[in-house]
Amino acid sequence: MFTIGRLATLAEVSTDALRYYEREGLIAPTGKSEGGYRLYGDDAVPRIRLIKQAQHCGFTLAEIRELLILRRRETACCGDVRQRAIEKKLQLETKIRAMKAMSKALDRLIADCADATHPVEECPILAALEQTDAPTRAASRP
Amino acid sequence: MIVELFYSPGCSSCAAAQASLKAAALGAVESLEWRELNVLDELDYAVELGVLTLPAIAIDRELVFGSLPTVEQLHEALMRRAAGAA
Repeated sequence: MFTIGRLATLAEVSTDALRYYEREGLIAPTGKSEGGYRLYGDDAVPRIRLIKQAQHCGFTLAEIRELLILRRRETACCGDVRQRAIEKKLQLETKIRAMKAMSKALDRLIADCADATHPVEECPILAALEQTDAPTRAASRP
Repeated sequence: MIVELFYSPGCSSCAAAQASLKAAALGAVESLEWRELNVLDELDYAVELGVLTLPAIAIDRELVFGSLPTVEQLHEALMRRAAGAA
């Protein structure tokens, strides 16, 4: 059994992060010390590693909670987890596509402003952003 | 009309309902083309159509269902589209 400080050291996270995970229902103490401090079981370390790695892969805490619930479900199989990973990849690829479109819109605005010595009130970028059909809107269309 | 089912291999909910949906679609619309696409093989296309959850169904390259519909829901969507095209 670990105190929150020991667990934080072992799992390489801050105690604040552990308290946050606990508030979000991702971890829970398994007992209390005589002094009333929270104590965590041995399984807390791999569980926190899973949470951290899943966050690095783009999963939200709510989605990670679902993954942890799925892990305990008897009827669940690896394919269920894999499907969630594929759905996350779809979401990330959609965001990447949207961000590329935003980047291209910025390319057009930057190209429009070839002369950076204009006074700011004549700035073509600011003027383009004021237009109803600015390049940023055009880029966000599917 | 083309119906495309995006699935992830090993997805139990896909396999169970796939056959009945396919039969319903083929029975509802004449000369309908039914395609089953492994989303990992067609990732760019899936993203282009806006697929975010699986299984998903697109009709004529437009995402219509983000999860498996019932046979009735699919039938209704096909009929609506067929009526619109006529």
